[in-house]
Amino acid sequence: MASVDVDKVRKSYGPLEVIHSVSVNIVDGEFVILVGPSGCGKSTLLRMIAGLESITAGDIRIGERIVNHLPPKDRDIAMVFQNYALYPHKTVAENMGFALKLRHASKAEIETRVRRAAEILDLIPYLSRYPRQLSGGQRQRVAMGRAIVRDPKVFLFDEPLSNLDAKLRVQMRAEIKELHQRLKTTTIYVTHDQVEAMTMADRIVVMRDGIVEQAGLPLDLYDQPANLFVAGFIGSPSMNFLKGAIRVNGKPSFVTEDGVTLPLASAPAGADGRPCIYGVRPEHLTLGGDVKVEVSVIEPTGSETQVFAKIGPQKIVGVFRERVSTKPGETLLVTPNVDAVHLFDSATGARLQ
Amino acid sequence: MSALAHPFRPAGANKIDPVLVMLWILLIAVAALWIAPFIFIVFTSLKSNAMVMGTGAFAPPSEADWGNYSRAWARGKFSTTVLNSAIITIIKVPLGLAISAMAAYALSRIQMVGRRIAFLAIVFGTMIPFQVMLAPLFTLVNSLGLINTYVGIILPYLAFGVPYQVFILHGFFRDVPKELSEAALIDGASHFTTFRRIFLPISLPVLAALLILDFVATWNEFAMALVILQDNSKWTLPLGLMSFQSQFSNDYGQLNSAIVMTVLPATIVYLIFQRYFISGLTSGAVKE
Repeated sequence: MASVDVDKVRKSYGPLEVIHSVSVNIVDGEFVILVGPSGCGKSTLLRMIAGLESITAGDIRIGERIVNHLPPKDRDIAMVFQNYALYPHKTVAENMGFALKLRHASKAEIETRVRRAAEILDLIPYLSRYPRQLSGGQRQRVAMGRAIVRDPKVFLFDEPLSNLDAKLRVQMRAEIKELHQRLKTTTIYVTHDQVEAMTMADRIVVMRDGIVEQAGLPLDLYDQPANLFVAGFIGSPSMNFLKGAIRVNGKPSFVTEDGVTLPLASAPAGADGRPCIYGVRPEHLTLGGDVKVEVSVIEPTGSETQVFAKIGPQKIVGVFRERVSTKPGETLLVTPNVDAVHLFDSATGARLQ
Repeated sequence: MSALAHPFRPAGANKIDPVLVMLWILLIAVAALWIAPFIFIVFTSLKSNAMVMGTGAFAPPSEADWGNYSRAWARGKFSTTVLNSAIITIIKVPLGLAISAMAAYALSRIQMVGRRIAFLAIVFGTMIPFQVMLAPLFTLVNSLGLINTYVGIILPYLAFGVPYQVFILHGFFRDVPKELSEAALIDGASHFTTFRRIFLPISLPVLAALLILDFVATWNEFAMALVILQDNSKWTLPLGLMSFQSQFSNDYGQLNSAIVMTVLPATIVYLIFQRYFISGLTSGAVKE
């Protein structure tokens, strides 16, 4: 096991810089998830840590060593790819033992270690099968088996669950998390799925356009998003954003562009009249109160009800534990939970409170 | 009758599809057209000269004259020409495939300056028919003092064989997911190990297809051999066959025995590898 330090790393393809001075410190044994939309640079960063992409500037350290120019095989890492990348002509056991074979490990040692990994991943019955004879989930487990057989210092996962169906994804999510708790190997995991990030990570690094927008504990990102992007990216359905301005007239409140008044617990000093964006998560709206919304669509899922509505022309989504009997076109009264309201600067998108 | 009707019906349909019937008729006609020369050659090779003149071309021999084979073997100096063809083919085909596969791997998987230009230069080789190069080739081989040597014929064969093999293998290797070579790289494999342990095994069907094509082409090659191998102790099978025809132009039985013996090895190689040949030709056609 080892820590991983990414220090002011840049990556350019010709004149185009895709990673702009990114720094991330991952402590020994931590499970860190790089998350962000497609093209944000998260996979490139992971591939640079793996040694599959060169670094234009900056340093990457694994443990105490700077690995900038080390080939992947000398970095003591293992990687699991989105499309599994299993060798199609080798059996499960041969796939898992290939790295050990290349390191001239004895036959007995290879067999012992492959067996141990197969036991952890419930792959014993499949050891003599070929990848084409396995289901998607089993293939993914073999890919993980190939990684753990080597007992590397760092596991790298590149969107490993994207090719699986929704049900299997939930199951594999738990398995990977359990595996980490068992092996306690430093893990860097890339995904574009914020639910995966929230449920699995010790720490999340949110990236966009080659920069780190925010890094922190999953619930800190949920409760205290640093800016509009993180606020919108973390949480499902996304946070509601309403444009307007703060008004401090004895009691602070927020008035939308269309004159609808929304409650605020407090306002930043001297913020009266300041234009900003009011953020409230769908699950932080409750039924009843005095904010009128016009219902557009109602989606009951059984355990909860999602209501798509409008405040003036601005769209808003609410998620309620209760069943909602209001029809589309009718008016519904809701109240934002003032303790869970976020304010963001209109110009920069930075968090005000 | 119902069993016979089945191929003429689309899956699940009750009616016979006239298009399918036409296709079957066409298929049988084309197959007959292709097989006719083989039947003619095999039948004629077993007929005495008198029988060749007295019976129809496609009539089976009333009495098989196996002696044609032994006489053709002796007169055509098959012991020499078979040996020459075998030596040239057995060295050239695997060597050419090995060079092509390594070149195709390097051109498709190793980042290097000028990779594209190198590939284009090699592929340009597929555009030149070797017949137009025969005269300069002769001058070159002659100036190297390699006329009438195995090396003198194997080197030009390699030069003309490698480009199209590189072209085909490059296309195949390029379509191998890059994660597969990256996984091997992380597992600790060098480029050569990745090539030998990952790329070669997964491209076996393509290699087998290329091996068949190249084996048949080399085994049957005539023009270049005619120019470079002038001493009849170095003649290959097709050259031997040519002299046969002029020498025994009346003895069709022996001529056809010689033809059968010439094409037999290529047929055997084809039958051994045809399973891979078919899958090699269609590999990558559908998503697996």
